[in-house]
Amino acid sequence: MSAATSLRRATVDLAAYRANLESLIARLDPVEILAIVKADAYSHGADVLVPEAVAAGIRWFGTVELEPALRMRRLGIGGDASFFAWQLSPSDDLEAAVDLQVDLGVSTLDQLESVAAVARARGGVALLHLTIDTGLHREGCLPSDWPAFVARAVELRDEGVVRLRGIFSHVSETSEADDQAAARVFEKAVADAEAFGATVEKRHMSSSSAALEHPERRFDMVRMGSNGLGIPVTEGVTAADRGLRPVLTLSASVVKVKRVAAGTGVSYDYTFRAPSDTTLALVPLGYADGVSRRAQGAVHVVVNGAPRPIVGRVAMDQFLVDMGDDPVAVGDEVVLFGPGDRGEMTIGEWADATDTIPEEVACRVGARVPRVYVGGRP
Amino acid sequence: MTHDVTITVDTAALRHNVEVLRAAVAPAAVMAVVKANAYGHGAVECARAFVEAGVDWLGVADLTEAVALRRAGVEAPVLAWLHAPGEDFVEAAALGITPAVSSVDQLEAAVAAGVRAVHLAIDTGLSRNGAVESEWPELFDRAAGHAAVVPVEGLMTHVSNASSEEDGLQTARFARAAAMLDERGVRPPLLHVAASAAALDYVGSRATMVRFGLASYGLSPYPDRTSAELGLRPAMTVTAPVTTVKRIPAGEGVSYGYLFRPERDTSIAIVPAGYADGIDRAASERASVTIGQRTYRVRGRIAMNALVIDVGDDPVEIGDEVVLFGDPALGRQSAADWADAMGGITYEVVACLAAGLTRRYTA
Repeated sequence: MSAATSLRRATVDLAAYRANLESLIARLDPVEILAIVKADAYSHGADVLVPEAVAAGIRWFGTVELEPALRMRRLGIGGDASFFAWQLSPSDDLEAAVDLQVDLGVSTLDQLESVAAVARARGGVALLHLTIDTGLHREGCLPSDWPAFVARAVELRDEGVVRLRGIFSHVSETSEADDQAAARVFEKAVADAEAFGATVEKRHMSSSSAALEHPERRFDMVRMGSNGLGIPVTEGVTAADRGLRPVLTLSASVVKVKRVAAGTGVSYDYTFRAPSDTTLALVPLGYADGVSRRAQGAVHVVVNGAPRPIVGRVAMDQFLVDMGDDPVAVGDEVVLFGPGDRGEMTIGEWADATDTIPEEVACRVGARVPRVYVGGRP
Repeated sequence: MTHDVTITVDTAALRHNVEVLRAAVAPAAVMAVVKANAYGHGAVECARAFVEAGVDWLGVADLTEAVALRRAGVEAPVLAWLHAPGEDFVEAAALGITPAVSSVDQLEAAVAAGVRAVHLAIDTGLSRNGAVESEWPELFDRAAGHAAVVPVEGLMTHVSNASSEEDGLQTARFARAAAMLDERGVRPPLLHVAASAAALDYVGSRATMVRFGLASYGLSPYPDRTSAELGLRPAMTVTAPVTTVKRIPAGEGVSYGYLFRPERDTSIAIVPAGYADGIDRAASERASVTIGQRTYRVRGRIAMNALVIDVGDDPVEIGDEVVLFGDPALGRQSAADWADAMGGITYEVVACLAAGLTRRYTA
């Protein structure tokens, strides 16, 4: 191990990632799966994961923002797979998007016109997904504006400067009733668009769990982010329940061991005092690395096969584990979360314990933690 | 990882803060701590600004961070204190990085590698890194034995900030360790105990060098005192452009979970900043941002790459610059405001900002 990985590491199991995707593809067939690799594939490393997903059979990728899609296109990552970006910003390079054939989600007439103008000027064709706001109220055209929006999109298609590839929406996942209502808005938007002559290749509104649980809302394509990573986002459902395996393991090495007397204060503010003589192990991961301060007293980590509590404040770069009277040595591995094989928490359990969602736990594993890839294709 | 989120760091503020802090602790030497990507401000550029401002030392947690500074051409003295098991210190020696060692094993490895000098890190009560008292005699004996070749340049500890009484106890233990070294003929010129919180509040903790982390970025280490009250200027401003504005009828839910349902018709703006950028989801519905001089509440759940603000009937447009936080003296939200909103500390608000964000430096 390098010095960096011998302090701390985020191990990414590429075999598990491929297996998760293959299993999802089989289950959802013939519906297309768009693999979400936004936020650097939830910090797992998009450049590494995209080729693995292609090997598993994925042909569509979503990046949210345009810039990462352009970057991967320029590097040839993902080959001829489609890349889809839908959170466009005023500073985005739309010329590159047209030239590099990145699919764009558009929500407003202004966006439609600016993308079309770029395509016209470049002598190219912009690949578009018309975004309908079905209630989430982030990006998306409001239903009241939809007819004029679609009519203009059809004109631009007929002019030959845009291709209508998709109609898409995001749902709030607030409640089944809300999502059903969103699905009805979506169906109506699709029907209205078709009435205007806007027939598209991919209609897509469902993500991850909703896509698995509600076949009637899959349409032509579903967007899968966390499930591919072995992170089920439905409350009370584990990765194992879904036949999925968590891809990410966060671990570190013990860097200091000390025996302290009963009553000794531990870490900032002495929020913990050893109730009896005990052994403390220092772990070089802190909140700057993505270990929430809320983990104190709320999680266990696994050291030498047994669960152990984090005691005292989690600091910026380190935390302490109470080992009791059990042996521990500098260099011993500390597993924070992973697939659970060794008794460690899963990322879902870690998220519950720290009062957030597993996607945030994954995304916030910091840059100081080197990613170690295992299970790559032979 | 959103390229739309921009962190602007005012290097003049960094220099100003160093001057204020240096004056406050004079004649003690000053170390600027640039670990964790300079508390999110960008390690290399901040290190350069601090060196230009005349700090005596730079401090980082681990050698990987120190090596990155050296590779970027930063030549100032650098101290690193959190080491991997079995670390051989060869690269540290080659690059003139000074390790703080906390065990006999680390000391021997550092000496064998031929480092320029060592600092000894001792535990005076925090129970973290640092040799515990029972380890001192052997560590100090060995250090004294090697001192002719590898000088003991510093003795350091870190205080708990639990209370001034506790910090006083730690300082007394530190003095005892210095006396034990002295008995062995070792008198390190750099004695350093205090970081920002202790140094500004507790004169007895200052010794001959003070490590300034948070305060050097212009942020207050105290929940009950502002940057301005300490004479400091927050160097960091976090901004993002409005990407979408839309009118929402009363009673409609907004963003995941529909936490926010406006009571009357209103406009919302989407800001492309989310938890993947290091904006803590716990700040949902609690934090505020500013556009110009107007303050708006974050509404609904902060998502991975976006948050929503309620702008009422104001004429907010796509492209308008949203300031998440910056210098409150300029009417912005402060990092401390965000810490309160998320139920955390100012340190984590800045240190958790993602490495991939765009960082710009102004003179």
